[in-house]
Amino acid sequence: MARHDRRVGYGLPLVLAIALHLAILVASVIRFPERETEPPSTTIVQATLVSTETTTDQAQRAEEARARAAARQAEEEAAARAEEEAARQAEAEAVEAAEETARQAEEAERQRQAEAEAREEARRAAEEEAARRAEQAEAEAERRRQAEAEAEAEAERVRQAEAEAERVRQAEAEAERQRQAEAEAERVRQAEAEAERVRQAEAEAERVRQAEAEAERQRQAEAEAERQRQAEAEAERQRQAEAEAERQRQAEEQARRAVEAANQGLERAIEGEADNVANARQASEAANSFINLVRRAVEQAWVIPPNVPDGASAEVSVRLGPSGELFAATIGQSSGNSAFDRSAVQAVEAAAPFAELRQLPASAQRDYRQFNLRFRPGDIR
Amino acid sequence: MNDSMSIPHLIMNASGVVQMVMLILVIGSILSWVVIFQRTFVMRRARKAHRAFEDRFWSGVDLNELYRETPAEQETQGAEHVFRAGFREFNRLLAKTRSPQAILEGVQRSMRVAWSREEDRLNLHLVFLATVASASPYIGLFGTVWGIMGSFQSLSMAQQATLATVAPWIAEALIATAMGLFAAIPAVIFYNRLSAESGRLLGKYEDFAEEFHSILHRNLQGRTDPGAD
Repeated sequence: MARHDRRVGYGLPLVLAIALHLAILVASVIRFPERETEPPSTTIVQATLVSTETTTDQAQRAEEARARAAARQAEEEAAARAEEEAARQAEAEAVEAAEETARQAEEAERQRQAEAEAREEARRAAEEEAARRAEQAEAEAERRRQAEAEAEAEAERVRQAEAEAERVRQAEAEAERQRQAEAEAERVRQAEAEAERVRQAEAEAERVRQAEAEAERQRQAEAEAERQRQAEAEAERQRQAEAEAERQRQAEEQARRAVEAANQGLERAIEGEADNVANARQASEAANSFINLVRRAVEQAWVIPPNVPDGASAEVSVRLGPSGELFAATIGQSSGNSAFDRSAVQAVEAAAPFAELRQLPASAQRDYRQFNLRFRPGDIR
Repeated sequence: MNDSMSIPHLIMNASGVVQMVMLILVIGSILSWVVIFQRTFVMRRARKAHRAFEDRFWSGVDLNELYRETPAEQETQGAEHVFRAGFREFNRLLAKTRSPQAILEGVQRSMRVAWSREEDRLNLHLVFLATVASASPYIGLFGTVWGIMGSFQSLSMAQQATLATVAPWIAEALIATAMGLFAAIPAVIFYNRLSAESGRLLGKYEDFAEEFHSILHRNLQGRTDPGAD
């Protein structure tokens, strides 16, 4: 024992201490998640409302209706514009005809020649390849229209477009009818009844707007008439022209009335669509709060049986009476564990009178009297 | 048990104060374990050295020879240190004074000084262990209280207080207490163990000093008697 070893340093103890802590840390990280899997799954509960197909459907329909309304509006506007143009064109033509009958005759001849040419060309084009023929025919039609009957062609096209739109609309309506097979008509009627009040309020504003529009149109018509009268003054000498102009004015009046009628119809249609959209939005808002209330009540009433397998999930379809009382709660989709299924149904029954249903708007109440609840234990959000 | 309730996740999500408390506790725990390991090694070595020295001392070896064999003053430990200090003082005083009383007093004093140094050496850092043992539960408790305060504050803003909304907060607050206990318990156990060990060793040194003193005394009696005669 001649030599003593040196004093004990701190390096080794430090290494040992850190290694010990790291070992404990690793042990806690690895083992804790597994060990604690058993207890919390029974304590934490979540029930989710799964099916509210009616609201989503309604929202979709609202979207569609809006799109359709926009399309129809565009169509009808185009039609109205075309009609107006046609009327103006016809009028101008009439004046011209009155002014220069002789030239008109010549023109008519020339037009006839042009028409004949067009027909010939068309025939030739028909013999040729399809694409070129179409192009030529179009060009010919353009020239001809510029010469004489732009308005007619326009009207024709508009009518075709309308017919097409009509067809499309019919197809849509059919599709919609199929989709709405279940209780659709009923809901619509309810929504309309609710919307009736809103519509009445809006109708007031609408009437004012219509009056304004009418005044505007009157002013336009007057300006038109002014122009007409000037043309007449120029063609004063020819009484024929006057008579023609008179007739023209009458025709214009008729056209205007037709446009007006069309616009009114359009506006009514738009109004109806807007009401539907507003109803759908309101209903979905109210429904969300109702769903949350139901979910919370059911969650609190749910007593999960022990030994539920992980990931078990049952769907309970619930049917409510008009004041929120429970009509029926049945297993829609079993979890495979009968005790678990029973507990889910019992939870709904315990939470049962959902009086909040009466606070929903009348139109939404019907939709939320039947829904599905999905029960899934061990879900921590 | 999903991921959000695992312990590392809870620690990471704790509030700043609680995390600070946890950091302090982790550092305290690591340092206390460093002290525990270091002291354990020191004690074991001192015990072994003492046993070896006692064996050698009582083997009937000549004290002068033993003194020459032992290393210099600064390197000796324990009973060896006491022996060296006492014997050196004895030799020095023997040359200067003839009074056995003065010699024995000087030897005793120097041995007491050496023993006191040994006590100081053995008990080094044990006070830190005691501090960790007594303070860390309070520090952890502070972290828990702070965390639960925060959880209730956030709870006042929540619409609906379910167990699921409170649970993570309280769990992460309680981790602070757990860490405080985790640091304190080994510190308490090892503080008791190590201080008992050092007390026992110091007792042995004291015994040895007394024995050595009595040997010197006997020696001096034997030497002064012929001198007096």
